Amino acid sequence: MELFALIFGSIFISNIVLAQFLGICPFLGVSKDIKSAFGMGLSVMFVMILSSTICWLVYTFLLVRFDLEYLKTIAFILTIAALVQLLEMFLKKHVPALYKSMGVYLPLITTNCAILGIALLNIQENYNLIYTLANAFANSAGFTLALVLMAGIRERLDEADVPDAMKGLPIVFFVASSMGLAFVGFTGMI
Amino acid sequence: MRIGKEFTKGVIAENPLFVQVLGTCPALAVTTSVNNALGMGVAFTAVLVCSNLVISILRKAVPSDIRIPSYIVVIASFVTMIEMIMNAFSPALYSALGIFIPLIVVNCVILGRAEAFAGKNAALPSIADGLGMGLGYTLAIVAVSSIREILGAGTFFGYHILGSSYEPILIMILPAGAFITMGFLFAGMNIINRRQAAKKEVM
Amino acid sequence: MNQKVFKLTAFLLIVCGVSAFLIAYINDITIDRIAAQNAQALQEGYTEVYPEASEYSETEYTGSDAAITDVVSAKKDGQEVGVIYTVAPGGYGGAVLTLVGFDIETQKITGIKVLKQSETPGLGGNCTQPWFAARFAGKSAAQPLKAVKTETSSDQEVQAITAATITSTAVVTGINAAQADFAANYANR
Repeated sequence: MELFALIFGSIFISNIVLAQFLGICPFLGVSKDIKSAFGMGLSVMFVMILSSTICWLVYTFLLVRFDLEYLKTIAFILTIAALVQLLEMFLKKHVPALYKSMGVYLPLITTNCAILGIALLNIQENYNLIYTLANAFANSAGFTLALVLMAGIRERLDEADVPDAMKGLPIVFFVASSMGLAFVGFTGMI
Repeated sequence: MRIGKEFTKGVIAENPLFVQVLGTCPALAVTTSVNNALGMGVAFTAVLVCSNLVISILRKAVPSDIRIPSYIVVIASFVTMIEMIMNAFSPALYSALGIFIPLIVVNCVILGRAEAFAGKNAALPSIADGLGMGLGYTLAIVAVSSIREILGAGTFFGYHILGSSYEPILIMILPAGAFITMGFLFAGMNIINRRQAAKKEVM
Repeated sequence: MNQKVFKLTAFLLIVCGVSAFLIAYINDITIDRIAAQNAQALQEGYTEVYPEASEYSETEYTGSDAAITDVVSAKKDGQEVGVIYTVAPGGYGGAVLTLVGFDIETQKITGIKVLKQSETPGLGGNCTQPWFAARFAGKSAAQPLKAVKTETSSDQEVQAITAATITSTAVVTGINAAQADFAANYANR
């Protein structure tokens, strides 16, 4: 039951983009159309689940064992960078179709603060492996949801009469604030 | 003077937040109070200057193929050291900024400046570049946080400046308010840019 | 080709090694100061939360509640007169490290103090303010407390901070964990 609350909460109540402010750069940059938004979301989901798990393992079985907890930032970001690099090489060679659709986003994902952020949060909240997996899945799902919703709205905005000063980023920010407010409505549900 | 130019460009013309649109996550998250924004700005500038310096010094020794991971290690190291120093000398700020201190590692500005400037320029210009970009970013997030704190809590830097009868606009301190503030500020940038473009056309 | 990979790896390892060394060095310098600051904040917290004790000594926490991180016995002239719990419930932006003091004789909360928090400044961040802590002093330790948004209608209710329900509820949850242990172990003396 607690697991469900965690998953529901991470997707809707403290949505990673709209409430926790992680992953804003791709949220602004890759949300112009639903297709690329969905692609980015799935790529992030893949990398986030993998990286959170590996980072958790590295922390629990390497850093803690040798009293090196203070090295976690550097260890995690290196793990993530290495993971993304390996992923890129693997996909390019063995699943070229997937590489083509995901490939453009992969290098961007290394500097996506959501990936490192969630890996660090898993440790901060003292999650075990199951909760870490659930948290990574839920947050990346929430990320995908926010991105796809924004993309859907932006596709409509293209045809709307937006004031000159608001065109581009400003209107996206205002849409994001409305989305955030709407999501606050979920707070009372659990 | 060339060094001076490297410094000033980061403040306005190539401002990391408002012109390059980088580092938006902390700009939204830690700008609930001017105190936090200032703290973040200082920490950010410290990391940027240090990493720019080291990367610039090492620029001829780093093999091009692994320059990105090397830059990341340098940046992450400075972030970890700054984290520890903050915990030791300003624990309240350390708690307030929370997870956004280690996230300085993936702040696109720092890796961006390392790749675009420090990796190709000498030490002194790199320091100037780091200071300029750091100052520009700090000014930007202090601007955002000033608006949010004054309107959302009636205080500036913790001091009540709008009087006790002021009803704070609570939403400014909440996440939605962060987006709204940025929206207005970027709209303002758009207006300024258009005016400048129009002026250039007239000339 | 292998020579190149070897060179690249060696370089990266050297950079990592130097970095790790520097980080360890700074860690060495700062770790004592951090520990001292934490210890001092704790001591000041104990005195604030249970002022009438002459000494505070660590007791072993034998329970299984993960929210309770520490239990300290407040003694006066060698006699145990109060218990101070350290709880760390999860708030909006992270754990809210709180001290909760109970008096054994009166079976009431003597006071609370929030030591560390990462809540929203101006909203949940106000949980460190004296006026919020004052809402808990004097509450009975016989029953758990409840955070309410409006005016309190019973003694077991505490008014939450306006627009900071999550933070307020977190603090109350932490206090209730302490209260449960206190009621179970120190109630009938």
